[in-house]
Amino acid sequence: MLPQLRSFARMVFGRREFERSMAEEMQFHLDTLTDDLIRSGLAPEDARRQARLAFGAEASHQEECREARGVRFVGELRQDLRYAVRQLARSPGFTIAAVLSLALGIGANSAIFGLMDAVLFRTLPIANPAQLYFLGHGSGKDRELSSNYPLLERYRASGIFASVTSSLQTTLTVETPEGLERVEGQYVSGNYHATIGAPFAMGHGFSDEPDRPDGRPLVAVISDGYWGRRFGRDPNIVGKTLSSGGRTFTIVGVTAPGFHGLTSGIRTDITLPMSVRALSDPSFLGARDRWISLRLVARLRPNQAETQALAAAGDLFQRYWAEPESERRPGDVRRAALLPAGRGSDGLRRTFGLALGVLLGMVGIVLLIACANVANLSFARGTVRAKEMAVRLSLGASRARLVRQMLTESLLLALAGGALGGLVASLSTSMITTAMAVGERPVIVDASVNWHVLAFTASVSILTSVLVGLAPALRSSKVDVTPMLKESAAAQRSGPLTVGRWLVVGQLALSALVICVAALLARSVMNMRSFDPGFTRASTVLFNIDAGDRSMTPERRATFFNELDSRLRARPGVLAVTFTQRSPLDESTQIRRIEVPGLAISDASPSASTNIVTPDFFRVFGMRVTRGREFTDSDRAGSDPVAVVDETLVRAYFGTSDPLGRRIVVGVDREPYTIVGVVRSARFESLRDEPSRTVYTALAQSKLGSKELVGDVRRITVAVHVQSNPGALASAIRGDVAALSRHVTVAYVRTMEQQLDAALMRERLMARLSLGYGVLALLLSLVGLYGIASFEVTRRTRDIGIRMALGATQRRVWSAVLSETATTSAIGITVGIGAAMAATQLIASFLFGVTPRDSVTMGVVAAVLMVTALMAGWIPARRAASIAPAQALKGL
Amino acid sequence: MTKTAQLLPGTLDMLILKAISLKPLHGYGVLLRIGQISKDALEITQGSLYPALYRLEHQGLIEAEWGESDNKRKARFYRLTPAGRQRMKEEAASWNRLVAAIAAAMSATPQEV
Repeated sequence: MLPQLRSFARMVFGRREFERSMAEEMQFHLDTLTDDLIRSGLAPEDARRQARLAFGAEASHQEECREARGVRFVGELRQDLRYAVRQLARSPGFTIAAVLSLALGIGANSAIFGLMDAVLFRTLPIANPAQLYFLGHGSGKDRELSSNYPLLERYRASGIFASVTSSLQTTLTVETPEGLERVEGQYVSGNYHATIGAPFAMGHGFSDEPDRPDGRPLVAVISDGYWGRRFGRDPNIVGKTLSSGGRTFTIVGVTAPGFHGLTSGIRTDITLPMSVRALSDPSFLGARDRWISLRLVARLRPNQAETQALAAAGDLFQRYWAEPESERRPGDVRRAALLPAGRGSDGLRRTFGLALGVLLGMVGIVLLIACANVANLSFARGTVRAKEMAVRLSLGASRARLVRQMLTESLLLALAGGALGGLVASLSTSMITTAMAVGERPVIVDASVNWHVLAFTASVSILTSVLVGLAPALRSSKVDVTPMLKESAAAQRSGPLTVGRWLVVGQLALSALVICVAALLARSVMNMRSFDPGFTRASTVLFNIDAGDRSMTPERRATFFNELDSRLRARPGVLAVTFTQRSPLDESTQIRRIEVPGLAISDASPSASTNIVTPDFFRVFGMRVTRGREFTDSDRAGSDPVAVVDETLVRAYFGTSDPLGRRIVVGVDREPYTIVGVVRSARFESLRDEPSRTVYTALAQSKLGSKELVGDVRRITVAVHVQSNPGALASAIRGDVAALSRHVTVAYVRTMEQQLDAALMRERLMARLSLGYGVLALLLSLVGLYGIASFEVTRRTRDIGIRMALGATQRRVWSAVLSETATTSAIGITVGIGAAMAATQLIASFLFGVTPRDSVTMGVVAAVLMVTALMAGWIPARRAASIAPAQALKGL
Repeated sequence: MTKTAQLLPGTLDMLILKAISLKPLHGYGVLLRIGQISKDALEITQGSLYPALYRLEHQGLIEAEWGESDNKRKARFYRLTPAGRQRMKEEAASWNRLVAAIAAAMSATPQEV
């Protein structure tokens, strides 16, 4: 193949050189032959003549030489292209319609494929990514990457892997000249950069320093993005310092662009040694009673099989899990799991994999509909151009040549569509990635155009051109020459139109399918927004505060909380303020083991969600306390520790017995809480899941130290319930906090509505996109329907004229034409709804409050489609009815 | 005039490969060499040599280079590539098999049937 390509390329780019060389070579042959003939005794004149005779027709030999090199193909291609451009320019309406619809179709496909590439397929720019695995546990939906530090040490000591490292994602507060800044960061083990083979733009990674603090100077690695954003790409950055949490770090390296750590969707900007985490919480390295979001990452030995590593890791994990020091539920068995880390963590893939697949299916359908439209238009043009084809055939063009000519036209259309589609793709990609970047930790997807996407777009364009062009080309080149040249354009077969009708049926069916999916998704989002999750969300402002600075002692922190509380309450319109560890739908989970001494619980491993709150919590979120009391200001440090439990927990564990006054033990904290109240349950974790059993404890009673058993309360969410206008309060919050402390940062100020939207991001995005695709599909199909109907009216003008001349009323003609449209549409819509019934099971996991085969949705979609289809058929029907018989008959 | 034979389709390529396998030649030289080694028993329209040469070059079996001919003129010399040498061997072998088979068939006597 290679020599052919090379010689072909020489041909294309060195055409003139080729021609010169070929002529010279043949001339040499003739000259030498002539000389030889002269030498053998012929007169020069005769010699020349005889040489030419022996050589044969030079021009035809040359043509054969060109063909041998594929030059002839190129020459004809040029001719075809020139002809195609002329043809397309001659019918600008067709060209514009075709290019636009193909551009929308191809662009939508490229955009979704680009996202898929970024979210699902792209490998991290690290050394040997296939050797890298996360050490997790569990299987299926239950799979987790949580671990703790002693487990890391155990894996390391075992020698199963070439090396094992760890990372812990966090948000850092960095001191800058302009004030405090929140930055995505991570703590990593000293061998992290070496183990994963992280690429560096400058400097180097950590040099295997111990994770145990040993008083050595602290170092940091920053990302390329942060280097640009914060340090203006200072070339002398290595050796400079940055400060975070009251400590100073020397920057030792800058990672290469495109590498942002192993957590998908998050750009980790600052990497600090694990010893810093241990400095602020000395028990961290030894704690086995917690499974935290510490990620263990291992590199296999060269040639080590995954199964072999998993077997060894499995044994180790099972032993560790069974040891009494582990926090585990009795009887709970977990197995180790190895998860490929070469593409980063699988959080985004799990969330968006199916969604992107569904969207790709929808845009594929949109493109098919667009193709059908262009094919239909080409059929129609083919009928018009039949005469041209007949002329060319009779002048000796081969059928293959005509097909190639027409395919060139459709290729040109598709390539123009593809180029314009690139623009559509980049616009919609940035729209989608912007929509994805919401919430506390916005999902950041780098869907910039790369060669994968370009290759995809190009192949889709070429495939499109074949889809669009082949059938019409084959059909129109199959012209019967003689009658076509003799008769007028009126006497044409009805063949292409039947094909056209079927194409329209297919279009409508596919649109019905897409619109059904879109309608189901949109209804689900509406249902979610109107669903009562058990908490109110109107007029509530939330923000996060980070009081984790080293200077903030537990006492100072408590004072700060109190001052902020009073300050907020003093603002006009503020009804209630609460400080809480977790807010509704903030995507946090925290499940602890619980015990109720003296109560027989059937569950082998009773557990509950936990939350730490201040007294107004239930008021802010409108959760009614049904029995006992809520927290009060007298529940403070030193007084009897109290808890409020929710109704779900009571139902699950207490049955009919009275929970009030019972004691409850949470986690491994041996000090029990007295249950003083029962509150209504709410869907805190997810709108889809039933409320989980929950235990609330009072912030004032939690140990505000760094080792907090039920969670970190240095970072806390403040929720403020206002009478009206949450926006006004939101803008005042930063000032209030800054006035109280320089060491506390405010982040993610939002209303509860915005938090809900962020939690529904995937569903909202899918609904919006699929509605867009649905409308596009419908519009394209209606154009197709309109086109075929009006074309048919034009073609049958004489028929209709005759019928009217014979006494058919206008109304008759009108309803005949319209009923044809109605039949076409009804078939298409029925098929489409049927397909939707079969296919919507695929999106069941995205639906809420509506079943995949919801008959109301399907019915409404069918009705809307039918009405719009009839509207599209109306105009041609009117035109048919207004045909003047005399004119129609005379005009032909 | 000696008796000449019509060239079998597809055999010209093989002859060209054979001719230039002995020594790099220009187009005219190829013709002379074929004439010489076939003892002028084959009839070839001279110009039809060139499409064959161009095809073989396109397939990467031979390569060409401008050089100086015996009569001190610029001429395009063809030489065999390794792939061409391989192809020539294969063609020669299959040709010999064919010839042997046909010869055997044509010399069959009634007793052998």
